Amino acid sequence: MKPSPLRGTAVTARVGLALGVAVAVCFLTGLISHFIQHPQPWFFWPTRPVWLYRVTQGLHVISGIAAIPLLVVKLWSVWPKLFERPILGGPVRALERLSILVLVAAMLFQLSTGLLNTAQWYAFEFFFTTSHYAMAWVAAGAVVVHIGVKLPVIRRALGEPLDDATAGGSGGPSRRTVLVGTGLAVALATAVTAGQTIPWLRRVSVLAPRSGQGPQGVPVNRSAVAAGVLRSARSPKYRLTVTHGSTTRAFTIADLAAMPQATHQLPISCVEGWSANAEWTGVVLADLVAAVGAPPDSDVRMISLEPPGPYSRTVLPARHARDSQTLIALRLNGEVLDLDHGYPCRLIAPTRPGVLQTKWLSRIEVV
Amino acid sequence: MRVVLIILGTAIGGYGAVLLWDNSFEVIVRIAVWAVAGAVLHDFVFAPLCVAMGFTGRRLIRGRWWTPVTVAGLCTVVLGLLAIPVFAKPGLRPDNMTVLNRDYPLGLLLSLTVVWACVPLYYLVARLLPVRQDEVVERQGAEDVGGQPPAV
Repeated sequence: MKPSPLRGTAVTARVGLALGVAVAVCFLTGLISHFIQHPQPWFFWPTRPVWLYRVTQGLHVISGIAAIPLLVVKLWSVWPKLFERPILGGPVRALERLSILVLVAAMLFQLSTGLLNTAQWYAFEFFFTTSHYAMAWVAAGAVVVHIGVKLPVIRRALGEPLDDATAGGSGGPSRRTVLVGTGLAVALATAVTAGQTIPWLRRVSVLAPRSGQGPQGVPVNRSAVAAGVLRSARSPKYRLTVTHGSTTRAFTIADLAAMPQATHQLPISCVEGWSANAEWTGVVLADLVAAVGAPPDSDVRMISLEPPGPYSRTVLPARHARDSQTLIALRLNGEVLDLDHGYPCRLIAPTRPGVLQTKWLSRIEVV
Repeated sequence: MRVVLIILGTAIGGYGAVLLWDNSFEVIVRIAVWAVAGAVLHDFVFAPLCVAMGFTGRRLIRGRWWTPVTVAGLCTVVLGLLAIPVFAKPGLRPDNMTVLNRDYPLGLLLSLTVVWACVPLYYLVARLLPVRQDEVVERQGAEDVGGQPPAV
């Protein structure tokens, strides 16, 4: 059995180029999401357009899923090289093989853990976010090394015509067919999953982890049951406490509802790649900050009724805290906030990952 | 240029390795096993299976059917991979019915039906459209002359 004439650098380089673009988009959008969640002094993240994070994180998952068929075809096109002799040879060849193993293993790690995370299936026994982030650097580095090693081959292959070899005579597929077929597979993979963030694809996204349905027309990531807030959120003793230094004010739900209300269309965009636009009504956060006499350019800490955990308290940077569209929402799509959406009140700010839009707020501290 | 890329890539990858090093030894082993298992599964299970399927298929399916069948085959593999984390809903939790809330077996069946329905459609269109002489000649190779078994 000899290798198919369809395999070869002409196909590998072209599919590799597309894969490189997908990986670059995935890596950069992933870094954006990481630095929003782990802010650095040099990192700037704007509040407009309000759908910015929806787009970057949607792209992160879409480009990652698009990379799956591209990687399948790319590996298919080079697979016979695995058995080329000498298997190891000298130190240079051994090193090259090792770099390929790192590249393939890191890429498969990223795509498999990322895909499993979108479906909340934690089959692996390590923490997803930190290992996915660390391995992203390994994969990115391995891609750059690989491009460096193969640069002359890539240049030659892309400069030459496709040289249309055909498998099994004139009736079989050509190299062009391989490229067109790969493009179709990428389009199909996108169509069957991207509806979780692109509404008009919802009906055809038959393999998307979310249909887009949920209480009040919005999906939920963490339920009130999982957060353990069923009793505290419905308690008649509930108060939202807002503090700034020694100034403390406590608001009942009626107090909040009596304040000036604002309504905005804002997306809720999850790190897992789903998003939905919704109409939120509530108190502008800046009004609450002003109510305790705090300056508008302060960071604000949001603390949930949820017992202490990784996302039960978050810090909202000053730029977002003073934004006129940042709300402490009491209503969603015209109804009182569902318990699973954060009743009695929750944070909703533009361009922020859903995981940082703290639900079941109990305390707001101006830092 | 090449040297710069290789050094830069090693530095970037090295930073990732340093980040991974923050984990306990046990967790590092789990991460490494997951990563290498992926490569091994691909190289010694997935890829040989695909080759075997292609090799067998090529002998059963002749002529113009083969091109659309290979593309449909690729699409089937991709749909199969994407269905793994949702098909049996392993991540489902009873407190949140907004995740994994589709009928995935039906979705997979429907999408596969659409993909494979395109095969006869393509065959018909390809038959109805005239094939250009140049294309046939251009794509003929030594194999078209001899009676060798076709390659996969």
